[in-house]
Amino acid sequence: MNNHRNDRFGLGWLGSVGMLLALVALWWVASNAGWVSRVFLPTPQATFASLLEGLNLSSGNSGNGELLAFTQATVGRMVEGWLLASLFGVLLGAAIGVSPQVRAWVQPTLEFIRPLPASALLPLAISIFGLNPGMVLFVVAFGAMWPVLLATVHGFAAVEPRLSEVARCLQMSRAAYTWKMGLPNAMPDILAGMRLALTIALVVAVVGEMIASQNGLGQAILLAARAFRASDLFAGIVLLGLIGFVSNALLALAEQRLLRWQRP
Amino acid sequence: MNRHTPSLRALRVASPTPSPGATPAARRSRFRGVPGKVRPFVLPLLLLALFEWYARRAAALGSDALAPPSAAAKAFVGAAMDGSLWQATGFTLGTAALGLLLGAVLGIALGLVLGLSRRAAQLGSVSIEVLRPVPSVALIPLAMLGFGFGVRMELAIVAFATFWPLLVLVQSAVQQVEPRLLEVSRVLGLSSRERAFKIVLPAIVPRLFVALRLGVAVALVVAVTVEIAANPNGMGYAMMIAQQSFDPALMLAWLGWIGVVGFAVNAGMVRLQAWVARRMGVQP
Amino acid sequence: MIAAPAPVTARAALSASAFRSPTVPTMQATPFLCFDGVTIRLGGREILSPTSFDVARGEFVCIVGPSGCGKTTLLRAASGLVSASAGEVRRNGAKMTEPSREVAFVFQDYGRALLPWRTVEGNVSLALEAAGVPAAERAPRIADVLAKVGLAKHAHKFPVQLSGGMQQRAQIARCLAQKPDLMMMDEPFGALDALTRQSLQDELARLVRDDGLTVLFVTHDLEEAIYLGDRVIALQANPGPGRPSLARMIDVKIPRPRDQLTTKEHPEYLHLRRELFAFIEQGHE
Repeated sequence: MNNHRNDRFGLGWLGSVGMLLALVALWWVASNAGWVSRVFLPTPQATFASLLEGLNLSSGNSGNGELLAFTQATVGRMVEGWLLASLFGVLLGAAIGVSPQVRAWVQPTLEFIRPLPASALLPLAISIFGLNPGMVLFVVAFGAMWPVLLATVHGFAAVEPRLSEVARCLQMSRAAYTWKMGLPNAMPDILAGMRLALTIALVVAVVGEMIASQNGLGQAILLAARAFRASDLFAGIVLLGLIGFVSNALLALAEQRLLRWQRP
Repeated sequence: MNRHTPSLRALRVASPTPSPGATPAARRSRFRGVPGKVRPFVLPLLLLALFEWYARRAAALGSDALAPPSAAAKAFVGAAMDGSLWQATGFTLGTAALGLLLGAVLGIALGLVLGLSRRAAQLGSVSIEVLRPVPSVALIPLAMLGFGFGVRMELAIVAFATFWPLLVLVQSAVQQVEPRLLEVSRVLGLSSRERAFKIVLPAIVPRLFVALRLGVAVALVVAVTVEIAANPNGMGYAMMIAQQSFDPALMLAWLGWIGVVGFAVNAGMVRLQAWVARRMGVQP
Repeated sequence: MIAAPAPVTARAALSASAFRSPTVPTMQATPFLCFDGVTIRLGGREILSPTSFDVARGEFVCIVGPSGCGKTTLLRAASGLVSASAGEVRRNGAKMTEPSREVAFVFQDYGRALLPWRTVEGNVSLALEAAGVPAAERAPRIADVLAKVGLAKHAHKFPVQLSGGMQQRAQIARCLAQKPDLMMMDEPFGALDALTRQSLQDELARLVRDDGLTVLFVTHDLEEAIYLGDRVIALQANPGPGRPSLARMIDVKIPRPRDQLTTKEHPEYLHLRRELFAFIEQGHE
């Protein structure tokens, strides 16, 4: 019985990868056979070649390694902004969330800001700061801060009332309560907020690069599209997908470790 | 499934309070001086007043980066009067809605299939994990290339962006349908189609509307983002043009209007979703 | 030995003989815990009518009554979690208004009273941290208290990994770590299965005797109340205007140590059981 189950698992995973390969094969046929014009859909091999060139991994010396630099720029922007956003989001969120009075006054304003697209702040930021990397970083950080802030406020607000009573019975100070009960209790929410903040950080970084002509993957793929260099465009998209995948996976791993206590 | 719970948790985090502007009775009693209905507006009005004072000073010193809220209000009225407000808003909302329709239909359909068939879910899992993390904005240049500027390009991006959350959430909802009900369908000898339409679909309606609420939020955000980045139509573009023409009053007016529209649409969806949950006998 | 309450207050009816029963240690001049006309009103309703009684140091007092009679509220008022609308609770002569570390509170919903992100050890440590015990001293004290409740082997487990009985023991361990002189227990075994309940009852009796704790124990289980208590206080719900919530006070003159088999066949136990049941039934008519 055990063997059978193991087999099923192995086969399942294999089948799933097979499915992906089938899709890639479809892509290969569609582009090579010309079902979709190669202007819009480059062949997988062309995309791969562009990737290698751009990352300076190709055998010949035709590669210019630009993509690597662009990737670093975009990732750097994303991570820096996200770290700032998380720090300030947690600090402000804790300050607001720990006091029901402050929450009552501030929460409605927060609810108004929640649906606002982070990229919508770019024109205002351009107006104030001009077109420079600092401006993009500011919007990335500011935009990504809100999910973390809102999650932190929610996490602090939703402390199990029984635990609050235990804190009173033990005569815990306000600081001890915030650090030992409020914060750990808010941790699942904060981590979820930080996950969301990461995706926002990537999006705003890319859009910021596009409209502010800053060096990075965003600008690279825009220029590639304008110059009809489809394989370069696709190479850039693959890299952006990879960034999204890896950053999310890392954060999911961290979440699993930090929230061990949730699973029996 | 761990893979899906993060999106659900994000969903929980992203859910606004049921009735925007209202505060729980317990807190209301502490502030007998300020009635509950007024309190939500105190902080925003304070901030607006502060901003007004600061922007006026900045303008007096010659800066044209900011404009006071009063000027923005005038610009807003101007845009409303000459129709540009309604045209741009209509474009954004309409395109977002169409994109959501496409993304939702595809996402729900695939979600149903993957939810009902374990094998299909397994087959598709790696492909989904590889394609899902691609940020929708990365596809903007591609859509530009393929569709030029206009409705189709934006619609495609919105569809892509809304497809994934709906797929994941519907799949999860179907997988969590009360297994007892599925056994009943087997005992009664229902066909696959009948099972899908008579048991599964009604059972997932409450969670479907939660997913749609998220989908609407995503659709609107993505639409505006596409307009800011590339598409020369809609509210996002109008705001960009205002900034580029050094008209900060109009730019701020658009920013505020985008906020208001987003808030109103989301609030409406929350009400709708809560109503559906009540009608379908689920605790909202 | 059943003290029937006078129409005005139950306190007048407390005869000295009620305190000289062999099961209760020597009483001090001022009662350790004193309820003086404690009344609690919530949301316009009077949950608890003026209630007065004394508790001596080292006594194990059980409070029983139908739902809605205010027994949980009485306990929460005694620990300072809720303030009395009228009257006061005095501990060692001083009025109790706020929770204090010397009064431990064991909640019924143990799962919600434990920090899910800390191990058993961590949860017990919380009490010591709150009391400002230096880090070096904590470990031996935690080990000591965990050994007392029989959780020494599970110190590194998270609450989610423990059974109901073990979680409740963990909560009791944390309360013991406070080194309280008064322990309030709100239906602590109500959510547990019968076998676990029985073994925890005996463990509790042993712990209380070893540490000389004073206990106020709320329960809906009459047999548990008689089994554990030195005295059983029966409250009634909706007593009517001018009548006290406290309806009956019974001394339990069964010798200690008690055990599940022989005590429950003891003639005094059976007699008290009959009296209490009859009284509660009467209250329901």
